[in-house]
Amino acid sequence: MTYLRRSLFASFATLAAVMLLSACGSDSGSGVQKNVDPNEDVPTVNYTGPAPQTDDVQQFKLAVWDPLATENRCGSCHGTGGQEPTFVRADDINLAYSQANTVVDLASPASSRMVTKVAEGHNCWQASADACADIIAGYIESWASASGAVVNRVVFEAPNDQDVGSSKIMPSEPGEFSSTVYPFLRDYCSECHTRSAPTAQQPYLGSPSLDIAYEAARTRMRLDAPAESRLVQRLASEGHNCWSDDCQADADAMAQAIADFADSIPVTEIDPDLVVSRALGLGDGIVASNGGRVDSHIIAKYEFKTGKDSIAYDTSGVEPAANLNLSGDVEWMSSWGIRLNSSGADGKAQAATNGSRKLHELLTATGEYSIEAWVIPDNVTQGDGGADTARIVSYSGSNDVRNFTLGQTLYNYDFLNRSSETDVNGLPALSTNDADERLQATLQHVVVTFDPVDGRQIFVNGEFTGDADPLAGAAMEEWSETFALVLGNEVSGSEYAWSGSIRFLAIHNRALSAEAISANFDVGVGARYFLLFNISHLIDVEGAYISFEVQQFDDYGYLFAEPFFLTLDGEASVPPTPVEGIRIGVNGRESPTGQVFAALDTELSTEAMVDGRQTLSGQGAVIELQQGPASDQFFLTFDRLGEHEFVRVEAEPPTPAEPATIEDQPTMGLRSFAAINATLSAATTVPKTHAAVAETYQKVRQQMPIEPQVSGFVAAHQMGVTQLAVAYCSALVSDTSRRSEYFAGFNFNVDVAAAFDSDGRSAVIEPLLRHLLAAEIDGQPLDSQADPDALRTELNGLIDTMAGGGGDVQRANRIVTATCAATLGSVLTLLQ
Amino acid sequence: MINTHPSTAKAARLGLCALLISVTSLAAQAGSREQALQIHNRIAGVPPSETVLLDMAQHIDNGDTDAAVEMAMNNEGFYSVTLKNMATPWTNRDMNVFAPLNDYTATFIGMVRDGEDIRGLLYDNILYVGEGSGLPAYANDNNNHYEALEERGLPLGDPDTLVKHTQSEVTGLPAEATAGIMTSRAAARAFFYAGTNRAMFRFTLLNHLCRDLEQVHDTSLVPDRIRQDVSRSPGGDSRVFLNNCMGCHNGMDPLAQAYAYYNWEYDAEADPTGEDGRITYNREGEVEPETGTRVVPKYHINANTFRYGYVTMDDGWDNYWRKGNNRVLGWSNALPGSGEGAKSMGRELAHSDAFASCQVEKVFEQVCLRQPGSAADHQLIESATDTLASNGYDLREAFIATADHCKGE
Repeated sequence: MTYLRRSLFASFATLAAVMLLSACGSDSGSGVQKNVDPNEDVPTVNYTGPAPQTDDVQQFKLAVWDPLATENRCGSCHGTGGQEPTFVRADDINLAYSQANTVVDLASPASSRMVTKVAEGHNCWQASADACADIIAGYIESWASASGAVVNRVVFEAPNDQDVGSSKIMPSEPGEFSSTVYPFLRDYCSECHTRSAPTAQQPYLGSPSLDIAYEAARTRMRLDAPAESRLVQRLASEGHNCWSDDCQADADAMAQAIADFADSIPVTEIDPDLVVSRALGLGDGIVASNGGRVDSHIIAKYEFKTGKDSIAYDTSGVEPAANLNLSGDVEWMSSWGIRLNSSGADGKAQAATNGSRKLHELLTATGEYSIEAWVIPDNVTQGDGGADTARIVSYSGSNDVRNFTLGQTLYNYDFLNRSSETDVNGLPALSTNDADERLQATLQHVVVTFDPVDGRQIFVNGEFTGDADPLAGAAMEEWSETFALVLGNEVSGSEYAWSGSIRFLAIHNRALSAEAISANFDVGVGARYFLLFNISHLIDVEGAYISFEVQQFDDYGYLFAEPFFLTLDGEASVPPTPVEGIRIGVNGRESPTGQVFAALDTELSTEAMVDGRQTLSGQGAVIELQQGPASDQFFLTFDRLGEHEFVRVEAEPPTPAEPATIEDQPTMGLRSFAAINATLSAATTVPKTHAAVAETYQKVRQQMPIEPQVSGFVAAHQMGVTQLAVAYCSALVSDTSRRSEYFAGFNFNVDVAAAFDSDGRSAVIEPLLRHLLAAEIDGQPLDSQADPDALRTELNGLIDTMAGGGGDVQRANRIVTATCAATLGSVLTLLQ
Repeated sequence: MINTHPSTAKAARLGLCALLISVTSLAAQAGSREQALQIHNRIAGVPPSETVLLDMAQHIDNGDTDAAVEMAMNNEGFYSVTLKNMATPWTNRDMNVFAPLNDYTATFIGMVRDGEDIRGLLYDNILYVGEGSGLPAYANDNNNHYEALEERGLPLGDPDTLVKHTQSEVTGLPAEATAGIMTSRAAARAFFYAGTNRAMFRFTLLNHLCRDLEQVHDTSLVPDRIRQDVSRSPGGDSRVFLNNCMGCHNGMDPLAQAYAYYNWEYDAEADPTGEDGRITYNREGEVEPETGTRVVPKYHINANTFRYGYVTMDDGWDNYWRKGNNRVLGWSNALPGSGEGAKSMGRELAHSDAFASCQVEKVFEQVCLRQPGSAADHQLIESATDTLASNGYDLREAFIATADHCKGE
């Protein structure tokens, strides 16, 4: 019923071959061979035997035999007359080919015995056995793809699964949360994280309601690893509003509180009512093929798998290896990759000059190249364009001289290449278009290519960005062989450091075609596995599985993508079987967030199968990582599967908190700019559309109050009001008919001395007060307005001051305007 | 420069200082006249004439405050100042209150003036257009009509000046594609411009349900409708997605799908800010080459950011907030919670309890010049929301209730 991997060629390593192969190993009793300095000149072997009998033999020779037949690789033991298998014998390539076929799996190069043997530590010429294994796998991959032997079809087999275990489950009621974690949240988070806070921020962790706070906190606490809780990480890693001067101490206190809470919770068996599949870990998965990459012109490759120490290996297999030395602020990612400069700026990964020299030799030989990388910029705020781009990948000598650089400026990728049309610094750079915002602070596949015809081109996530190189037609020129390949910084270390992660880097000595780039993008980055969740016991069909393509998405999560249903027994018949609401469980409980497939509602059946599988969804779910890929156990739950059903009872939403009580809000406020304008218009009878007034309003309206809060009043507001009031009053006083009607009884044709007698003053002051309802009405002033008598006293005093020196008619009119403006521009207008 | 004689300005400032000092005794006690003044100021933005003040006071003395408020609402200031300023920040991303009159604000003003069911703001086939000799005609590709209407100071409170029309008749959008102010030119200019059309949803939520996305954040919902352009690992940290981004997108994306056939078309070269653009809507049979469907390309942009995300194929929307914490928004049981297009989605939003109470809260802040802060205030919000509902969602009722509440004692 199950069926193992397929290989086009006689395939599996036989036990005998394994035994013979191991006879040359360090455990064989033979002398331990000294590892070879990778930077020494690599000896070559000239083959003089019979010609290859077939094309495939020729491909084997080019891809595998040539690089491995040398004395410092496998030639010293597995060469002519050496230990079996003699896959690098030099007397007859056809016999070597035959031997090699016993220790390779062309359908799955990484599974080849030749690879796994070296991975176990068998005579690796690098410090890392994994690096050697990757290099040999690359040779075999190259052979396989040249032969057309790489198959993308993965063959499924029954995994070694188990029952879903038990774990601590977050209780539905707060319980001890109230005395452990909640006091911290209530005391230190409630200024923002409550509904009633002036700047309310979700989640409402600090809510006065324990239930609301618990609901908000429950997905942010890790019972199995309190220190990994979001509540702790926010303090420890991100310094988010720590309440003391010591964020780590605060984080420790929070972690202890969560640990205390966790201690109060008994281990719970998984809910027996849940409809669950069998469980398995990532290691039980079947490796998804990474075939399909176009790697035939790779001259340097970094997959960052090592995860420890300070060397990132060049696994291209092209000698000499340009291994990268990590220094400064560089961290390994568990999902394969390095994180550079996330907290400082001195980190870089740099190859030695002699290792880097192959770039010069091999790239100038072809006159074209590609830089291919999977990167995660930390942000979209770094880099400053041109020479000041933040260095992602650089082949340079200093801040000012380079062969090439891939860099970041805000939302753009920059590509600097030294050519016949640029200066020694590769300037001017080619950058992606600002408006496109191609660069995002997320995992991206970026490829830059250079060739003498099209010049520089940039591809992001498999697509050409469309940014044409104005210098197309230029040729590579005056490249220096003394430069070094460096990641995340300039060789000298500088202010041009780049902050982000690199999960893969390859240098090709050809400009990759758009199709090749798209293909490489489609393959993705990192290891991917098919996890087959057994549901046979639920639908009574032997060998029935729901499979997900799973990968560690980043250091904090897994990606479960593109689920499909399959049966390993090709003869099994599946009657129409409803399936609804698939959720992914981790370590005995459903993951609380990210359950994309919870909305799934379909039917499993034989009829729906195409090529032995029934696609359930094309989507992917990101599920939070808990203990790590080595120990996390996954399973599926179903709301309905066949006759099994789990009725999900939705919790009542938390009762809304009491609305905020805001004390001592003033009952009066400022009039807004538009209301002031309308008020002045009403108080003067001058229409808002009066040309001079409208012009002034346009100039000063943004200077007047917008919000009613009196506490927001500033002097500039008053100046705006004053200017507008003056404009209205000027318009009123300069309009002879309007002023006569408004200031009835005032003589506008006499000088100051004659105009401002007692009657004249009243004729000016009273209409102004009346229009603002600041005069008595039926003999009674409004209690909420200013005292009319006090106003009259002030305005008369003002007129006294202005009229004291006498003056002509013009001055008299100005005094009216000024009195009008003083009244209208006052608090009578401003406050309401 | 402002044409002001220096001595006039100086004198005015001198006088102002004096008056600012002299009127610190603005009193809080309020008889009916004082209440009438306060009501008029808050409703119309301007003080009343003496005659109106006395009439309003009389109404108040007669126990008919409603009539007093209605008198204030007859003042043009209520329309061209109060309502205009209230709505203007809703019509642009910067929430700029200085923006000129446009079809969004004019329609809001007209609907309030005519006592229309204010819920129709989000789904009716309605648009208010000015009538007046010499006014430039309404145009799909500019705002000249409304700017001229405002510059000329024409009375928006006059039903013969600001006239109700069907939107489809004015703009040419199919009737089924109209969704109140969401499909107005001003809203489309602001929120369908570039981007992903999520802005239209976010700002509608903010302006008409009084909630920004932070307040509806809920990570418990199923995230299956989040589009491909949302990074699931911002900066390489998927926890940020799971704890933050997802909590908003899981509810927003399936609702904002309702706008999948709309776009703002403009000449990016000659008019990069899109001022002279126009709203477009893909009718039945109009297929976008990039998507192969009626869905506009912006719904598929940055698809490689997360290729396993949701691919929008139509304008079907679902309200995931009918589950989880956002049930408290009070969705209508009379509606199915899903549908196609902006019109039905607008109805879903507008028929929620949150929409009704939001309208009252906005009116409260406009009239009372403060946030509801006391038990009495909150009680008023509740009762005024009930009153609004029982009076056909005529927003004038909210002005009446809040003006009465904040008229002073």
